[in-house]
Amino acid sequence: MMLNLPEQLINFFDYIFFGFAIAAISSYIILAIISAFETVNYMKKNSFVNYTEILSSSISPSISIIAPAYNESLNIVENVRSLLSNHYVNYDVIIINDGSKDDTLEKLIEAYDLVKVDYLINNQVATKPLRKGVFKSTNPAFEKLIVVDKENGGKADALNLGLNISTNKYVACIDVDCLLLEDSLQKMIKPFLEATDHKVIAAGGVIRIANSCIIKDGKLLDINFPKNSIVRGQILEYLRAFLLGRMAWSKLNGLLVISGAFGLFDKKIALEVGGYDTKTVGEDMEIIVRMRRYMEEKKAKYKVAYIPDPLCWTEAPDNYKIFISQRNRWTRGTIETLKKHKKIGFNPKYNSLGILSYPYWFLFERLAPIIEVLGLFYFLLLIVTNNVVWDYAVLFLIVAYLFTVLFSIITIIAEELTYHQYTKRGMGKQLIKTAFTEPILNHPFILYAAIKGNFDYYFNKSIKWGEMTRKGMSSN
Amino acid sequence: MVELLQNIVEALNNSHPIIQFCTYLSLFFIAIIILLVIYLKNLRDRLRIKGRIEATYKKKYEAELIEYLYADDDKNNNLQQQQIITYFKKSSENRLKRKLIIATFLKLKNEISGETSDAIQNLYYQTGLIDSATSKLKSKKWDTVARAIRELTLFEIKEAHDEIIQLINHPKKEVRNEIQKYLVKLFRFDGLEFLNVLENPLSEWDQIQLLEILNKFNNLEVPDMNNWLQSTNNSVLSFTLKLAKIYNQYGVKDEIIALFNHADIQIRIEAINVVAHLGIYEAVAVLKEDYFTRSLDEQIAFFKMMEEMAVPDDIPFVRDHIENENFFIRISVMKILNLITVDDDNTFKINTTATDFTIDKDLTIAS
Repeated sequence: MMLNLPEQLINFFDYIFFGFAIAAISSYIILAIISAFETVNYMKKNSFVNYTEILSSSISPSISIIAPAYNESLNIVENVRSLLSNHYVNYDVIIINDGSKDDTLEKLIEAYDLVKVDYLINNQVATKPLRKGVFKSTNPAFEKLIVVDKENGGKADALNLGLNISTNKYVACIDVDCLLLEDSLQKMIKPFLEATDHKVIAAGGVIRIANSCIIKDGKLLDINFPKNSIVRGQILEYLRAFLLGRMAWSKLNGLLVISGAFGLFDKKIALEVGGYDTKTVGEDMEIIVRMRRYMEEKKAKYKVAYIPDPLCWTEAPDNYKIFISQRNRWTRGTIETLKKHKKIGFNPKYNSLGILSYPYWFLFERLAPIIEVLGLFYFLLLIVTNNVVWDYAVLFLIVAYLFTVLFSIITIIAEELTYHQYTKRGMGKQLIKTAFTEPILNHPFILYAAIKGNFDYYFNKSIKWGEMTRKGMSSN
Repeated sequence: MVELLQNIVEALNNSHPIIQFCTYLSLFFIAIIILLVIYLKNLRDRLRIKGRIEATYKKKYEAELIEYLYADDDKNNNLQQQQIITYFKKSSENRLKRKLIIATFLKLKNEISGETSDAIQNLYYQTGLIDSATSKLKSKKWDTVARAIRELTLFEIKEAHDEIIQLINHPKKEVRNEIQKYLVKLFRFDGLEFLNVLENPLSEWDQIQLLEILNKFNNLEVPDMNNWLQSTNNSVLSFTLKLAKIYNQYGVKDEIIALFNHADIQIRIEAINVVAHLGIYEAVAVLKEDYFTRSLDEQIAFFKMMEEMAVPDDIPFVRDHIENENFFIRISVMKILNLITVDDDNTFKINTTATDFTIDKDLTIAS
């Protein structure tokens, strides 16, 4: 029987949305399976590692921690103290005061006995000029600390100045308000030192959410599960992304992003590609894609490594306004990066980067929210035209919801079997409850932020980073 | 109720295949979610209980071990010691308990020394734990083998050497690394014999670990490094260069100079880096001669080396590079010139303190 045009269209869209949903679910399942195997493998191998031996070695490679700070007066002294208390032997801390309008610099000068010094800077990447100059401490206890005061140019510009200042082989680019665990640097440097038949160009670790945790003197004392549902949802979201997503991409050597909160880079390669791109709001993803592209074009054997251990704790947005602003920026960053590097997409010349990572990000990160919203509009159209097959529509929603819940519960089990961070009584129940509520309480806002990010990218170019007000983790 | 269910099943059977599929999938997901939630609850409970059980057993084993160690030499006590040995033997049949017993032995062994430490070592033999560890060396599972080697290392079982050295080219690097640590921890420099037969690369991570182990021992006689400095395994060369530097092996200077022409650029750079530390002045002339044919990284390494080794005769050569395009070379040139300056009477002098130079090419002086 021949179908008329509207019926043919309905069938066509049905298959498109159904097909996309099946493809997305299948990809998540495949990634989860690969992650599970890889995590077991990692845990087994890691049980033989003794990190203390690398700690005290004078020949361990030198690392610069680069932390841009903008209007961080509230917590800067505590944050720097935390960075200076790392157990690694061979490192320095470079704080870039990126034109703060508050008294960030003055607080640092006072707390760490800083004085202005002459410092030769190798201008390998262009940056905004210095404002008050370079400062070092007169107190030998803080000899690892370098503070640079420059004109405001944004996070990428500040990181670029850090790359110019650093004299070390490796650079750890971090958010100044992140809490790095004391053994984070030796864990991050390990893949660089272990590689013998390829070059590790960058490494990223797991970021955990510190809201409601007890932190004192730059140390994580107690892990709590926050009461705020937005933060709870993000905890689960981060666990899913890091435990079941990135581990698999690491195995496939297809990692496209290392969180801007904490990543370790081979400085030489980072400089060879020109440092961070100051024109994008997704500089953390962009530099990784550019470094990978560079290595692929050089036909060099390389890897972007991933450490599944919880190494860095950060504060997550606890209200919808900031949450939406953050996700909006992430969306714009993804669009900008994928657009800038469209040459590698679906291009076999770039191996797994071109035929696996890029297409995945394009389909399931870049296009997913758009397809989801189109699906909603399509559903509304069907309601208006009285073409909804209700039992099909309801069942489709139920399957999607149940799959999300199931996936989250698998993530919680993976967390329990590996790092088991939420040990207190009742936390298990709270995590399960969050698995059921997160698709309703968080996902609509993520979707809204992604669509707004698309809109802002095309029609509101003046928007840059957006607002991120920190309350400070130490006060918890 | 039954009728209602029958009606639902009948309606489902008559529905579109996609509806049927989605319904069954939903039911499947619900069932899995329920099972996983139950599993999660049990898992969390088990993890909590496991911690308590482990703490209880640890306490018990510690008490038994102390009783064994401090028993007097009379007949009754010998009997009591035998009972403790039997107890440990029996307990170690269980995997978790064996792990805890070993951890307890090691903890105490590391805290004490002398006769008591030897007694624990002896107990390790008497309880048959050593047999269990050595038998695992034949396991097909790499992690079992690696764990056994680590245990034998911690209990300092030198007798296992011949069996362990057979595995030196094991396909798993974790096993190889455990073997290397076993050899170096127990046999110090003699343990480095594996460098003669090593086929796989020794990563920088492994090298640092081995050097740190060696660093813990004093007054060791450094072995002859000539063979290793001619190895075809580049990682062995790299490791030996580090050894030569740390243990000031000036005697191998000719071999080090020979490495300036090695095929691998990294080895060439590492050789140049060692020169300054050992004060091999002959090397300067060699490197100056073919300076311009060398890679930029080697040139940077050369100037870095010259910061320590330059003499007044080198001034003209160094000065030629003051406008060099590379930042690091310019910095080195400035440092060298700052150390060796010309007096008014046209004689050179070597300064002991350096002050900053300024040049305005591609660099900013922050002041």
